Amino acid sequence: MTLSRRSLLGRLLQGLGAAVIVNQHVLVAQAAGEEPARSESGPLTVRVTRPFDAETPVREFLPFLTPNHRFFVRSHFGPPPPEAVSEANWRLRVGGLVERSQECTLKDLRQMDAVTITAVVQCSGNGRAFHRPKVPGVQWERGAVGNAEWTGVRLRDLLAKAGVQAGARHVQFQGADRPVVASVPLFTRSIPLEKALHPDTILAYEMNGRPLPLLHGAPLRVITPGWMADSCTKWLMEITVQAEESKGYYMETAYRVPTTPVEPGGSMSGPSTPTEAMAVKSLIAAPQEGETVKSGPVTIQGMAWSGEAKVVKVDVSFDEGKTWEPARLVGDDRPYAWRQWQLVWKAKTAGTLTILCRATDARGEQQPATTPWNPGGFLWNGWDRVTVTVSA
Amino acid sequence: MRRRNTIHAQAVGLSLILGFIGLAVVTAAQEEDMATVSVALAPRAEGLIIARCSVCHSPDLIAQQRLPRERWEATVEKMKHWGAEISHDEADLLVRFLSARYHPGAPDHLPPLDSELRKAEPFTQDSAAEGPVTGVATRGAGIFEHNCQACHGTGATGGMGPKLAKNPILKHEDLFRETVLHGRGPMPAWGSVLSHQDIADIHAWLVTR
Repeated sequence: MTLSRRSLLGRLLQGLGAAVIVNQHVLVAQAAGEEPARSESGPLTVRVTRPFDAETPVREFLPFLTPNHRFFVRSHFGPPPPEAVSEANWRLRVGGLVERSQECTLKDLRQMDAVTITAVVQCSGNGRAFHRPKVPGVQWERGAVGNAEWTGVRLRDLLAKAGVQAGARHVQFQGADRPVVASVPLFTRSIPLEKALHPDTILAYEMNGRPLPLLHGAPLRVITPGWMADSCTKWLMEITVQAEESKGYYMETAYRVPTTPVEPGGSMSGPSTPTEAMAVKSLIAAPQEGETVKSGPVTIQGMAWSGEAKVVKVDVSFDEGKTWEPARLVGDDRPYAWRQWQLVWKAKTAGTLTILCRATDARGEQQPATTPWNPGGFLWNGWDRVTVTVSA
Repeated sequence: MRRRNTIHAQAVGLSLILGFIGLAVVTAAQEEDMATVSVALAPRAEGLIIARCSVCHSPDLIAQQRLPRERWEATVEKMKHWGAEISHDEADLLVRFLSARYHPGAPDHLPPLDSELRKAEPFTQDSAAEGPVTGVATRGAGIFEHNCQACHGTGATGGMGPKLAKNPILKHEDLFRETVLHGRGPMPAWGSVLSHQDIADIHAWLVTR
């Protein structure tokens, strides 16, 4: 053979999307036994090649909505085979403590009242890499979050059709994704009935006006606005109404945070609770980490969000948090979306400088300098931080 | 990677304290020793990672962790519990390698291991037998179950990997052996785990399917 494997692969890949190429390069690098390649220039920063986990570079958060192809991707087992979730084969079943079990096609769901909600979806592990000591798990930094328009049906409309029985307290979701090895526990999750019946909890079949992409849970995923993404089951196939919270690893062990502080590096020995509402948080999307800016006016921009309250304030600090300047909240103001903010900064002194931001919500919750350590490395919401160089 | 100065300041303070305590426990010589251990164990450990761990996830998930030995022990134990085919000796080797290479003090970007030492080293003793070996179908069934079934399905009827029962490749035993030894496409190389005899046994069993 005259072509090396790599150049042959390169030729084969010509004409395919950049994301695929980046992904293939990672695979090639891995096959060669190299350290994982991190693409900082592609649409996503790959954290794990298989199952595919990737986060959005923070500069891509400047638009209010995060485009589908740049939206972070996380699952435990990767997407199910496309034929399992094709419109012809896919069915949604609703059972458990209901009067009338349901089986719906996508067409059935599309005939129900449609609602569109703009909501932040964020991985509970977003920012895990910043916990010290380090915590096992995907080492997400800042971009396992996104803001999109989700269109679908209200879960409560579907539950009303089925008729929830007395004694029901929780609603369990099961997706079509399966582990490679059958002995690995399924990703089975439940949410309290109250959240399931909330008018803004929806089953989404569209994302930003397009059919839900396979990597984001096609044909149907749960959206629990204000709550962490572990409740937003993708490739949804089964809804079970039940008396108890779901059993199993992903409810009883993972995605839990201690209710009393745990010593850093320790294990969860005391009481804990599932990760639910998002904590107040903000990010700096521009300027970027390591960027050089000219002295003079520089627009600092970012986004801020909180799970169950409105963001009312974003502050920026140039002196490690000793003093703070209020930023201006701008753009769309929707209940579960993030809020954009800006501050025009007059960069004067040449040199390296760190910009911090912190958000405050209507309940008075304020983003802390660092988040209390927890064994799962969940719910990081420490001040965001970008270091820039000011040139004369 | 971004550094968070506040954490950094805390970490510096903490590491100063820990450093004094740690001085008595982890000397520079021992740090050096950890690097030596990871290099020495790398060929076998990396072969194991490909064969045992990458059935479910790519090795980059492992390489981004920085954990103390007890966390690595707990992680390997969790994976065994979930069905990873790891023997007691293999688990021991993996924990020693992982805690020597991916410990909390290791830098974010580790230099690659010396490529000469990185060639997967066969585990099994009879791999020197390069000549034709006769497969034993009854043994092949068990070897298939423990190594191949996760991807190729129960009874070799296919799964994430192709169906192997009645697969045309079975007519070409040399090609079959090469594919298993060195991998193909998304299939990892099994040369570090399966001997020629093992592969012949699997082949012998597959042709009965």
